[in-house]
Amino acid sequence: MNLPGLLLALCIYFPVTSGPFVDKLSEAEFGRLHEQLQAPADAPWRTIPWKISLLDAQRAAIDQHKPIFIWAMDGHPLGCT
Amino acid sequence: MLDRASTFADPEIVQLLKSRFIAVAIDQAYHRRQQDAEGEFYRKIAGQGPRHDFKKTTQGLYLATASGKLLGFNNNRGGDRIKALMKKALEQFQPPTATPIEAGPVDDRYHAPLPEGGMVVRVQAKILGGYEPTTDYWSKIYQDSLSRDNLWVTRAEYEGLVSGQLLPGLQRRIVRFHLIDNTRGEPQMWKAEEITSLDLSLDKGLLSGTVHLETASGNRGYKANLLGHIEHKNGKITRFDLVAHGQFWGECTYTPGAPNGKFPLAVSFTLADGSDVADGVPPKGSRGWVEGYLQP
Repeated sequence: MNLPGLLLALCIYFPVTSGPFVDKLSEAEFGRLHEQLQAPADAPWRTIPWKISLLDAQRAAIDQHKPIFIWAMDGHPLGCT
Repeated sequence: MLDRASTFADPEIVQLLKSRFIAVAIDQAYHRRQQDAEGEFYRKIAGQGPRHDFKKTTQGLYLATASGKLLGFNNNRGGDRIKALMKKALEQFQPPTATPIEAGPVDDRYHAPLPEGGMVVRVQAKILGGYEPTTDYWSKIYQDSLSRDNLWVTRAEYEGLVSGQLLPGLQRRIVRFHLIDNTRGEPQMWKAEEITSLDLSLDKGLLSGTVHLETASGNRGYKANLLGHIEHKNGKITRFDLVAHGQFWGECTYTPGAPNGKFPLAVSFTLADGSDVADGVPPKGSRGWVEGYLQP
């Protein structure tokens, strides 16, 4: 098999998708992405003073004479869900 | 994810929650099972609603008094419906005679505290492209979403970082449980054998390397580069900034709707400072098996 033939055969057996898909991250890309992936503090749902303990909520409801609003999900609503 | 950007983005609902209610967010899969005061109080409330079979999901929004009387329930999204529910509950509400419930012994199966001497790192992921343009309201929320989870670092790993080492367990935990596409809900975590390659190093505070994660069938995978900075002062970690960026493919049973083919996914890590109540939420990967999460 000549050299071009060998290279073609290698490409078939070891396709380029087995290598890295993206270039290394530069410092600039790291900084841009890190900033882009921060949740804005003023996102409306984050401005609500959520509690994560129902008993803490019960105590606060007694102290403040308010009803309790429970957001109950499969998985934690403030985490990965 | 959808609730955050719909129900809890409604200005009137947000204002009502801030001013007229005590808002609490919980994982009902734990609360309906846990055998302690917290679980009992939840079951008392939820048991008055339509989802009172605690072997099944009780997911939803519950409005109740401090004595445990249910004032309303809904498991739908939509601002108007939830606002009506809240206003009706407020009309009915009379502050009850109630005393604070003592916590008592907690059910350890559902209370996994951060390991003593450990550290919390915020983790957020986003798909950076690849979706077909859409005008569908709910699809757009998923396409734009930024996920949130927490990474737990053990005391030994913390001390390792301070001494300039990125211990293998921490490397595996980062990639198995946090380099996931959780932008449309809860995906499966990577199995140990799905770490096809992992090459990370920490040199003078610079964390860098590559990772290749892939299922045996090849139907889901992630190839990424990582770059980050870890700093410490007087034995305390003062910075843990890390980004993973690469090509992801595939989806899971509960996270359908991923872009076709390979798409760019980035995941960021940032030291939690406790200013966000979500910093106190255990990592998703620890749910149901903390030991497996801490010793990946």
